[in-house]
Amino acid sequence: MQDKQFMRETVTEAAHAFRAGRLDRRSFLALCGMAGVALPSVLAGRAEAAAGEIVMWNWGGQSEECHGSAIGAPFTAETGIPLKFDTSGPLQGKIKEMVDSGNVTADVCDADLFDAVALGATGHLEPIDYAVVSKDKTLPGYALEFGTSIILYGYAFMYDTEAYPDGAPTSWTDFFDVAKFPGMRSLYKWANGSLEAALMADGVARDALYPLDLDRALARITAIKDSTIYWGSGSEAHDMIVNGEVSMGMVWQNRGRNIEQETNGRYKMVMNGAIAMPGAYIVPKGNAGGVEAVMKFIAVSQSVDAQLGLFSCLGMTPTNSEAVAMLSAEDAPYAITSEANMAVIALNDPTWWGQNTDAAVNAFLEAIS
Amino acid sequence: MTRTQRLNPAWFLVAPLLALVAVMFAGPLVNILWLSFTDPEPGIANYAALIEKASLQKLLWTTLRVCLITTVLSVVLGYSIAYAMANVAESSRQRMMLFILISFWISVLVRTFSWIMLLGRNGLLNNGLIELGLISEPIAFVRNELGVLIGMVHYMIPYAVLPILAAMQGIDGRVLQASRNLGASPAQTFWRVYLPLTKPGVIAGALLVFILSLGFYVTPAILGGGKVLMVAEYISVQVLITLKWGTAAMLAVLMLGSVLGLLYVLSRFMKLSAALGGGRT
Repeated sequence: MQDKQFMRETVTEAAHAFRAGRLDRRSFLALCGMAGVALPSVLAGRAEAAAGEIVMWNWGGQSEECHGSAIGAPFTAETGIPLKFDTSGPLQGKIKEMVDSGNVTADVCDADLFDAVALGATGHLEPIDYAVVSKDKTLPGYALEFGTSIILYGYAFMYDTEAYPDGAPTSWTDFFDVAKFPGMRSLYKWANGSLEAALMADGVARDALYPLDLDRALARITAIKDSTIYWGSGSEAHDMIVNGEVSMGMVWQNRGRNIEQETNGRYKMVMNGAIAMPGAYIVPKGNAGGVEAVMKFIAVSQSVDAQLGLFSCLGMTPTNSEAVAMLSAEDAPYAITSEANMAVIALNDPTWWGQNTDAAVNAFLEAIS
Repeated sequence: MTRTQRLNPAWFLVAPLLALVAVMFAGPLVNILWLSFTDPEPGIANYAALIEKASLQKLLWTTLRVCLITTVLSVVLGYSIAYAMANVAESSRQRMMLFILISFWISVLVRTFSWIMLLGRNGLLNNGLIELGLISEPIAFVRNELGVLIGMVHYMIPYAVLPILAAMQGIDGRVLQASRNLGASPAQTFWRVYLPLTKPGVIAGALLVFILSLGFYVTPAILGGGKVLMVAEYISVQVLITLKWGTAAMLAVLMLGSVLGLLYVLSRFMKLSAALGGGRT
C-alpha cells in the first residue's frame, strides 16, 4: 500500500519535472516503466482521478469492498459514473499535501468531521452543496459547511468477563479505577476519545464535555498510566483484547460486535459512555471528478439502502435516522445512536477537535510517553 | 589537446541519474529545510522550541537513550557472534551466516508481532513460566521500553555482526601467535592485540546501528505500547495528524544533520562502501 503510493508519488513528481523540463524524456519514461504506470494517465497530469469517474479515498481492507457494494453500485447504476478507490488513508496531512501540490487525485475522502472543520478553514476543501445533499439525513450539528457526516463510528470499551466475575465494570469511572478493577487497560494513543472517557470518569456529564478540560483529563489518564498500553490502529486494539493483553480495552465501537463473537462472548462491550464519532465525506478542493458528480455521490450515500449496507458490512452506524429506525432488535444495540444508546452516549464535537487537534494530541503524547 | 579539460563522456551516461537524484531527492530535501524555517511563520521559532519545550527534549532524550542502549547491546552481542563465526570451520560459518541473513531479511513488522506473541502477557514465555510455577504474575517484557530494546537489538545485530566479522577475518592469525609467543596471556592478547585490530569494524558497526536506530518507527510504536515515543513516530504524527509541518521539518533536519555528522565520523575510520557493503565478506 505504502509502496504503491510511493510509486505513484514518484511518477507524479517526475511528470511535473518532465513538463517543466527538469527531467529528460528518456529517464522519465524509464522511471514510469519501473513504477509500472501507464503513461497516458501520467502524461495527462493525473495519476488517477479524472472527469467521468469518482475516486474515493478510504482506508482499504474491508471498506473498499463495503463502500463499493453499498454506495458505489447504486451510484453507478443511477449516474453511469464509475467509482474507484485509493486506499492509502486520507489523513489530514495527506489531504493538505494533495491540495497544495495541485495534483488532486481523489474526489471524496472517507474522513472525520473534525477534518472538515480543520481543512475547511484553511481552504483545502470544497463546500458541501446542500441543495443536493440533505441536511435532514444526518444528525443535527453534523451537516457542516465543508463536510457532512455519513456514518458514525465511536469509542467504547470491552472487558474480560472472566477477569471480573464478581461484578462487571459498567462505566468509564470503573475503567479508570484500577483499585476496584485491577488489570491492564488499553486506550487510543492519539487522544481522541481517550480524553472524553477520562473526563466522564472524572464526573463530567456526557453532554457537557466540550470544551475539553485537557489538564483534568490528562491527570486522570496519567494516574493509570502504569496499567495502560496505547494502540494506534483498530487492528492493534483488536489484537490487544483477543490476545489477552488487557482486561479492559478501548475499541472502535463498530468492531466490538466482531470481538464479542470472536471471543465467544468472553469479552463484552459496554456502550454506557461510548463516544460517537461522526465519520464524514469531504471533498478536496479542485477534485478532478467535478463538484456536481461528487455531491451526487454523497447524496446517494445518505440513502437508507446505502446506510444499511454500510452497517451490515462495516458495523458503522447510519446517520440517517430513517435507516436507524429500520434496524432489527438484534442489531439496534450495536448502533451507537439507537434510541436506547442515545440516552447513554456522548457525541463528539467536531468543531472543538477541528480547532484543537494539534494541542490535544501533542499534550496527550507528552503525558503518556 | 587539453584532454583534462574535456568532460569525460561517461558523465553523459550518468546525467539522467544525476538529474533524477537532483529532482527527486535533493529538491524535496531543500524543501524540508525551507519548511523548517518558514512554517508556520518565517524565523527560527521551530529550532528555538528545542530549547524552550521540555516535551521535545524528553522526546530527543528518549530517542538518544534507546538508540545508545541498542547500539551497545547490539555491538557486544554482535561481537561475540562474529568472534564465533570467525573461529569456526568454514561450513559452520556459512550456516551461521545463513541464520544471520535470514533474520536480516524478515520484515520488521513480522518480527515485531512475533515478539508480542512470544513475550506478551499471554505469550509463550509468560505462559510457560507460569505453568512451571516460576512466576505468579506475567512479566512485562513488551509494551514498554524493555520491549522496544529487545525488538531493536534483535533487528540490529546483523548490522553489527557483518562489519565486525569483516574486520576479524582480515586479521592475520600469526599476529596473535606472535603475541602469545612473546609471553602475553590469552586475555592480554585479546585486549591489547585482537580488540584494537577489530576496532574499525566495531566503530563501523556501532555507527551503522546507531544511525539506523535513530529512524526506527514500527518497533517503538508497537512494542513500546505507546509509551516510548521516538522521533520518527513523532514526526509522522506532526505531518499527518497535527499538521505541525514546521516542527516535523525541524526534527527531520536535525535527524539528517546528526546522521550526516555521524557518517562523516564513520568515513574517517573506514571506507563507507566497505561498511555498507559488508554483507559480502
